[in-house]
Amino acid sequence: MEILQYSLRKLIAGIPLVLGVTLISFLLIVYFGPDKTYDLLGKNPTAEEIAEVRSQLGYDRPFVPRYLEYLHEVITFDFGNSESTDEKVSTILSRTIPVSIALALPGFILGNVLGVMFALLAAYFRGRWIDKFIMGFAAIGMSISFLIAIIGFQILLSSSDGLDLFPVRGWDTSTPLQYLRYVTVPTLATVFIALGYNTRFYRAVIVEEMTRDHVRTAKAFGTPPARLFYRNILKNSMIPIVTRIVFSIPFIVISGSLLLESYFGIPGIGKVTYDAIITGDQPVLKAVVALTAILFVVAQLLTDICYRAVDPRVSLK
Amino acid sequence: MSTMNTSAVSGIDGHGDSLWLKAARKFKRDRVGMWALFGVFIYAVIALGVVFGFWGGAWADVTGPKWAPVSAEYWFGTNIIGQDIFARALYSTRTAFEVGLLVAIGATALGAVFGAVAGFFSGTWIDEIIIWVMGVLDSVPFILLVAAIAYSLGGSPWAMHIAMIATFWIGTARLVRGEVIKLKTLEYVEAAHAIGLGKVKIIFRHILPNTFHILLVQATISFVAAIKSEVILSFLGLGVKDGMSWGLMISESTFEVLAGFFNNFIAASVLMFGLVMAFNMFSDALQDALDPRSVK
Repeated sequence: MEILQYSLRKLIAGIPLVLGVTLISFLLIVYFGPDKTYDLLGKNPTAEEIAEVRSQLGYDRPFVPRYLEYLHEVITFDFGNSESTDEKVSTILSRTIPVSIALALPGFILGNVLGVMFALLAAYFRGRWIDKFIMGFAAIGMSISFLIAIIGFQILLSSSDGLDLFPVRGWDTSTPLQYLRYVTVPTLATVFIALGYNTRFYRAVIVEEMTRDHVRTAKAFGTPPARLFYRNILKNSMIPIVTRIVFSIPFIVISGSLLLESYFGIPGIGKVTYDAIITGDQPVLKAVVALTAILFVVAQLLTDICYRAVDPRVSLK
Repeated sequence: MSTMNTSAVSGIDGHGDSLWLKAARKFKRDRVGMWALFGVFIYAVIALGVVFGFWGGAWADVTGPKWAPVSAEYWFGTNIIGQDIFARALYSTRTAFEVGLLVAIGATALGAVFGAVAGFFSGTWIDEIIIWVMGVLDSVPFILLVAAIAYSLGGSPWAMHIAMIATFWIGTARLVRGEVIKLKTLEYVEAAHAIGLGKVKIIFRHILPNTFHILLVQATISFVAAIKSEVILSFLGLGVKDGMSWGLMISESTFEVLAGFFNNFIAASVLMFGLVMAFNMFSDALQDALDPRSVK
């Protein structure tokens, strides 16, 4: 009950954020966006035809009603039909979001779990060669562009100049084996880059926690290292770690895989967004922006509830 | 006598020296940091050479055969239509510096001003509004923001720079805000209030200069982020419009790679990796040197 009340309050507090995001996106994409009048007209239109199309598109109405109409679309989550495929936007989203999740999930989990593990190792052997080796590797991961990692893994694993083990591009989830074949190369590229940033961040958090007084005391009392690491260090470092993980979720669901999907030709939400950007498909863009903002508010709420689960001192007031 | 005194005091353990003197001394002892700085310097020389027309000017000329191998004439070979990859790679270094410097300076300046104002007025509506703006910009997917700004500017080549500045200042502003909240309760600020200085003067003359160590590190981070984003945006067709960049080279190379020709891809990737790696190391060393908590 307390959690429910808290969640409700938090969601209401998130309304200004959603309003802000929709306002900015409306201004940039629709109000100052591309003029669609002449895309819909034939050759040599008359002045009446132009005026008619403009009023159809709502260009002749003032700013406020048009923005309110967009807000109404956000609330009912009905953005109409895509301008390029004429498919309902909500249908497109419900078809493509699962694809994106299936694509991003393995990399997301591996990148974070391995990141925490390497960070623990590096922190435990702080200053020794293992630490230097892991952090050197992380620095390399941080300095390589995601695009270069994608192309590099593609050359190595799926081209005839490399090992030629996996398909070059495309997507197929008909059987688990096919799924594995198609998801491996994108996942490797994702994990490689994510490990660079994650390991560094998590190591800094864990090292900070390791130097605290209560850890020294526990060590002096003879707590075995495994228990010390789990109970005194890892648990206390969970707050920043959880924050980082949860806040990366909205981008993964919406746009995080944009590059991956457009490069490998995977029909997920990232690809849809990219195509919408290129063709100026406003209903799709409006839906994507609004969805990200809402997910952000939900992510904020989730982190706060996670804090409560990890740290009993945090109260949900 | 007085000179002896100061040197005696500051000579022992750096006691009494300014943060900057200590940091410079510490940085000079950091071998990785010094090498990284040297690396960045070399890239800067390459970029300046292009600006002054010493090399890289022929990046758009079709001079050789298609896919010429590495030779004395074409150091990195030629691309699919016979342009010299070496010249293109050098010219792209200039583009990288142009993007990196513009975005780093713009984002850091914006972040400094808004962060300082928000921190100084923390708890008031001014702070609330700035925090709200930061939250809003943070929640718009970056690539969409670039595209949207490009739309509304009618496809201007500066859309990429503006979009990066519009998002990269937030990280800096958050850090500066936190620091200013700490600084504004210190005695010297109270003293400034007491002698009747205006708020603007207190913020920008007395508080902001004391966050300069944060700004410097954040500028290096923005620089790296800008170069990396440029590559991805250019590949997606949202980045560099006229000119040449590592991102465009890589984008061009995706066709060549499938045909088994790697020169374009390797030239752009390695050069970019070198600069980003050097800048990352430099940024790390700078951060260590400026961190007042690690007294060594």
